[in-house]
Amino acid sequence: MANRIQKSVPLMMILPGLALAVAIIGYPIFDLAWTSLQDVSRFGKLTGFNGGENYAEVFGDPLFWESLWRTGIWTLAVVLGTLAISMPVAMILNDDFYGRGLARVIIMLPWAISLTMTAVVWRWALNGRAGLLNATLMNAGIIDQPIEWLATASTAFVVEILVGILVSIPFTTTILLGGLSSMPQDAYEAAVVDGASGWHQFRYITLPLMKPFINIAIVLNVIYVFNSLPIIWVMTEGGPANGTDILVTYLYKLAFRFGQLGKASAISLIMFFVLLAFTMLYVALVSRNDRDDAAPEEEV
Amino acid sequence: MTHPFRTSTAILALSLGMAGLASAETVVDFTVAEYSSKTGPYFQEVADAFQAENPDIKINIEVVPWDTLLQRLTTDVAGGSAPDISIIGTRWLLDFASQGVAEPIDGYLTPEFKGTFIDTFMAPGVIDGKIMGLPVAASARAMMINKDLYDKAGATPPKTWDELYEASKKIATLPETFAFGLQGKEIETDAYFYYALWTHGGDILKADGTSGLDSPEALEAATLYKKMIDEGLTQPSPTNYTREDVFNLFKQGKVGTIFTFPMLIPQIKAEAPDLKYQILPFPEGKSKATYGVTDTLMMFADSDAKEAAWKFIEFAYKDEWREKFDMGEGFLPVTKNVAALPYFTEDPDVAGFAAGLPYAKFAPTIANWEEIADVTVRTLQQIYLGEVTAEEGLKSAAGEINKIRGL
Repeated sequence: MANRIQKSVPLMMILPGLALAVAIIGYPIFDLAWTSLQDVSRFGKLTGFNGGENYAEVFGDPLFWESLWRTGIWTLAVVLGTLAISMPVAMILNDDFYGRGLARVIIMLPWAISLTMTAVVWRWALNGRAGLLNATLMNAGIIDQPIEWLATASTAFVVEILVGILVSIPFTTTILLGGLSSMPQDAYEAAVVDGASGWHQFRYITLPLMKPFINIAIVLNVIYVFNSLPIIWVMTEGGPANGTDILVTYLYKLAFRFGQLGKASAISLIMFFVLLAFTMLYVALVSRNDRDDAAPEEEV
Repeated sequence: MTHPFRTSTAILALSLGMAGLASAETVVDFTVAEYSSKTGPYFQEVADAFQAENPDIKINIEVVPWDTLLQRLTTDVAGGSAPDISIIGTRWLLDFASQGVAEPIDGYLTPEFKGTFIDTFMAPGVIDGKIMGLPVAASARAMMINKDLYDKAGATPPKTWDELYEASKKIATLPETFAFGLQGKEIETDAYFYYALWTHGGDILKADGTSGLDSPEALEAATLYKKMIDEGLTQPSPTNYTREDVFNLFKQGKVGTIFTFPMLIPQIKAEAPDLKYQILPFPEGKSKATYGVTDTLMMFADSDAKEAAWKFIEFAYKDEWREKFDMGEGFLPVTKNVAALPYFTEDPDVAGFAAGLPYAKFAPTIANWEEIADVTVRTLQQIYLGEVTAEEGLKSAAGEINKIRGL
């Protein structure tokens, strides 16, 4: 009996905090779910249940499926692209060289500018006739006709992904740099003694040891990028012809342009569950891999 | 040790608080749409003048940019903190009225006050026989040409679409010049098409209420635009050009013809004073038309300061203030007295825009208008990009719009 009380003490102690967290995080989700099942006026007044009609409308809407598909591409491309660039950048910044402090500041600087401002600047830079990018490329002799970057969905979406990668680099580099600086140096020294090449050091020492940091970078970036409105909204508003709409821009249009708050909250809830499913799946996958990796060592 | 400054601030705050209590003034929250950088200071000036005469009423002006205005009002209303009065786009009025958010003003509007308005502009504010708002700003659209380019190319200012097409062919041969500026991105991409639709004799809605996009007139208009894109008579890739982008090309003297609003004139005078332009009516096909746009001053149904708000409205519609507003922002007058001023009848620029008013068309006041406009914009972009033919695109857009309208 005494034992049981003792066991429950820690639980009791975190209970108030836990309850507060559940209330703060849970209430909006509950409210969203509640709203998504009702007819909602454009001013958010609930006018009665409509029995999943919002969801039927969402699932019957081809624009929803196109946006969902595009959200997948957008998230995958931005997150993987960011990682592929941030990893070498972090490794370079981890090496000691003259002016490293300045280089680190330069990499971090874009972080200090709001996403919206960055997107506005890019929108100007990408303007077909007056944009800096076309002017630069034409002066350098790379193109002889200005390119209208945002005129078609295919080029606009690629450009938006590239800008998305650009703005995600500072955050990701910070995480990876933190991981790299906590890396044990003796492992590398031992590897050098054994004649391991630079690639081998990266493949067999850096990468495995960096795994937890890469994982956290992936999960956090997926959540941020999946939900990120400003870049696409500012540059194309999901156009032309809805060709660059992702779920969150589509949702924004539904809610604040068309006033379909019921349908919008349904999509919002779907997005929440997609992210939740991804995060749980990913964490499960990672922890299973860790166990698999650890298993043979125990046998030795 | 107490900082002397802090003590004095505390006393000041205390005395201000007591003064506030003593006078018990009525506060009227007024949300103002930002037309230009002059809008905020102008309304503050009106409010200050009003408060000088009515010390018991405080007018609280809040300036909100157009792009976020609807979202802002939506969240304000949903959160129960709506203003007392607000400027809104007339196309939103139906939504506000049907949800009981807008207060009918028939009871406040005296016959004399009502008589000061031009009737054409009162009409869009009437819903189910009730006046739901007052016209606060009006503009009509017209064609604007660059006279230098027309002279250089030896083209004559067009009166019909055929003449515009022929003139554009000549202007397109000039170097670094685009004959016709065509908007294809973001807000009012659909309006740029309605100009052609209306002048070809079509309409946004047919007489039976279904979409007019599948009419032969709409097809003719869209085919003409597409043909001009394909033949290089417009700037390349219109889907990358917003209204402002097209107007900027015009200011730079690179475009022969655009369709525009009166507010561009002050901009041209400030930014490109050497540009020689001329305002002309839209080219004719089967009929004359222009797009009339009004904004509405609306009172909120749950306002607790309606009497005070109305007093301010009557004050703000005095001729002196209306004249200052219309001239400052470049709008067409909505009141008869201001419209009769020499500036609005004799100035060739303003008169050029005002000339279209007798045959102006307005966007229909129907539910889900924003969504219908969005379908139209999407379809136009697909047509301009060549993703669908004009015929297929317009037909499926009409189907979609009819579905949205529940027809």
